[in-house]
Amino acid sequence: MIKKTTIMALAGLLAGTAMPGIANATVTVLGWPGGSEEAALRAATDVYNETAREDDKVELIFFSRDGFFDKLQADLAAGSDAFDINLIAAYSIGRYAPYMEPIDLGDDAETVFGKAVLETMQYEGRQYGVPTDLSLHFMYYRTDLLDALLGDADARAEYSKIAEEYLGKPMEPKPADEWTWDDWAATALYFTKSINRASPVRYGTVLQMKNLLFNMMVFQSLPRSYGADWRDAEGNITIDSEGYRKGLELYKTLYDAGATPKDSLSYEYAETNAAFAAGQVATALQWNAAAGELTDPEKTPAVAEVTGVVAPPAGPNGRADHIHGLGLGLNKNAKNKEGALRFLQWLATEDAALLYAENGGSPALMPDVVAKIADDRPDLVDLGNFASQYGYVMDGGTSANALSIYEVQAREFTGYWSGQQSLDEALANTEAEMRDLLNP
Amino acid sequence: MQLVNRGEGRLFLSPLVIFLLLFLGFPAIVNLVYSISTVTFETLRAPELSGYGNYLDVLSDRYFWQASWFSLRFGIITALAECLIGLFLAIFLNPLLGKRPYLMAPLMLPLMVAPAMVGLMYRLVLHEFAGPVPYYLWMWFGDSPAFLDADNAFRTLVVIETLQWTPFAFLLFHTAYSAIPSDVREAAALDGAGGWTLLTKIELPLIKPTLIIAFFIRFIDGFRVFDNIYALTGAGAGGSTTSLSIYIYQAFFKQGAIGKAVAASVVLFIASLVVLYALTALGSRRKEKT
Repeated sequence: MIKKTTIMALAGLLAGTAMPGIANATVTVLGWPGGSEEAALRAATDVYNETAREDDKVELIFFSRDGFFDKLQADLAAGSDAFDINLIAAYSIGRYAPYMEPIDLGDDAETVFGKAVLETMQYEGRQYGVPTDLSLHFMYYRTDLLDALLGDADARAEYSKIAEEYLGKPMEPKPADEWTWDDWAATALYFTKSINRASPVRYGTVLQMKNLLFNMMVFQSLPRSYGADWRDAEGNITIDSEGYRKGLELYKTLYDAGATPKDSLSYEYAETNAAFAAGQVATALQWNAAAGELTDPEKTPAVAEVTGVVAPPAGPNGRADHIHGLGLGLNKNAKNKEGALRFLQWLATEDAALLYAENGGSPALMPDVVAKIADDRPDLVDLGNFASQYGYVMDGGTSANALSIYEVQAREFTGYWSGQQSLDEALANTEAEMRDLLNP
Repeated sequence: MQLVNRGEGRLFLSPLVIFLLLFLGFPAIVNLVYSISTVTFETLRAPELSGYGNYLDVLSDRYFWQASWFSLRFGIITALAECLIGLFLAIFLNPLLGKRPYLMAPLMLPLMVAPAMVGLMYRLVLHEFAGPVPYYLWMWFGDSPAFLDADNAFRTLVVIETLQWTPFAFLLFHTAYSAIPSDVREAAALDGAGGWTLLTKIELPLIKPTLIIAFFIRFIDGFRVFDNIYALTGAGAGGSTTSLSIYIYQAFFKQGAIGKAVAASVVLFIASLVVLYALTALGSRRKEKT
């Protein structure tokens, strides 16, 4: 009897103390786990819950990041009502739209985010989410190394010699914001210890080459700046193009020359950050989300003070920067649609967006809005500038099978980079599968 | 003596039969239907029958055969390595563990780590800039192999799998080896058998059933490997470390090719049955000979 009473008392204690949020919450949000997006959403939700009605309180849940979209798809397809609001991404809207409810964010949303950014959360003309985070890529580089190179005549001569040997033409070093892809490649080769023994770092760059769809997003901006696209106006697949050939070959040249760690074929976001933060890499093309970490002296003491950020290098068609939006949308089977919609509409207000940004999120905000936090978050200013000037989405990049297309490219392109198949084979295999996925 | 009549026997068995039909039979039938249907996440509840196209897709897919070859190699090599090292440890450590059985606990520790966690752990441990192994190799030798590049990934994965699961084989062998009656060894010694003869002619034949079972269990586990490889290398450059489980997972979730994924799992099921029947037939034939 005493034992039973003790167990019931403990259960009551746990229910009363450890899970008050769950007990009260009536809007459940499934967020993007494990990064700055989670931290920002938690902070914004805490503020919302302070003033929200009892039946509007928000509770957050998170899966693990690995396989997130697969689990989400299984849940949505099964008609789950375990969450009212779920993560949505520009490249997955087409896949999830059948299980989601279009929403009205109100007129003010456009003054906060702007029309173009709101469109990253639209599918077939209807709004499916609040654009909480915009993702694109920055070229991170070591300002101290580049300054030393630019100011040393002997170093410039060595640079030119290396460029001629590996890229087939003598080149002069340039400031990072003037780089073409060849300039970046020549710089990467110059700062590779196995090529230039005088290099103060081990590698000239760190490429994300793991067989992973997100790595393909990082890579695409190279071919895109050479005019590449997934298909033309007639719907023909145009993957076998000069742009893709150039990009794939350049990556392979750098990998084979040892300009990126030999393990790069297993590298993704985390490994790239670790390599750059260790101070042994001169450049890295990486997601904007890494800016907070790589430029924070507390988190990255070795290089934070000497880390510069520019847009990805230019090709013959100018610069290109892959963009996609992450956001939150309404589950068609939500138990509390009204409460969920109230939270989504609040997230689309200026106050909420600024709060979200101040806590580490990366919303793409209109210039007059982002100006209010420019001192604290200079990377958000770059984010807005790069997105508006260089942002692009491939033709088909928001289709229902966009994720599968990235998967196919990841498998085939990494097969080429690792030497398991030729460039022609990789492109032919990719084209055949893209034809089925884009034009079924 | 017959304890129950046939009718009563059926009555007692019926809950089990119903349970099996519900929880094994129904999914099996659904899978068979899916494997001959055009089905997506949107049409899960109303698949359209489309014939044997999914099977043809699977059998003509080079990545299916690549994954099959990977799984087969991985399963055999890891099972062999785990059993050989496990057997060596069981024999070598037997006197020590007889006196200090508490030492068994730390030897079992790798089994306590979830395979996905093992993958994540080795991502860190082997990372050139963050991992201790490359760090010391650079410090001592000025260079470190790329543990996960296209040339080394398979070997690295085999070592990681072996490190984690050798304790399982060791546990089985230690139990079997310890259970050999001491009078058998004493009799062999009296007959003049040396250490090697005792091991090869007496002890190993006595624990042979355990050896076979351990190899079989480890082969099956290695063959269907998923978690640690997926966490560590994804599917590998060009799909080079894609096991059959990863292949099926990718077809199902990543490509949304549900019919093809299910067809691949049916092919795998049939192949497993063939292997099992072949082994059973082999065992029966040997029994008849003896």
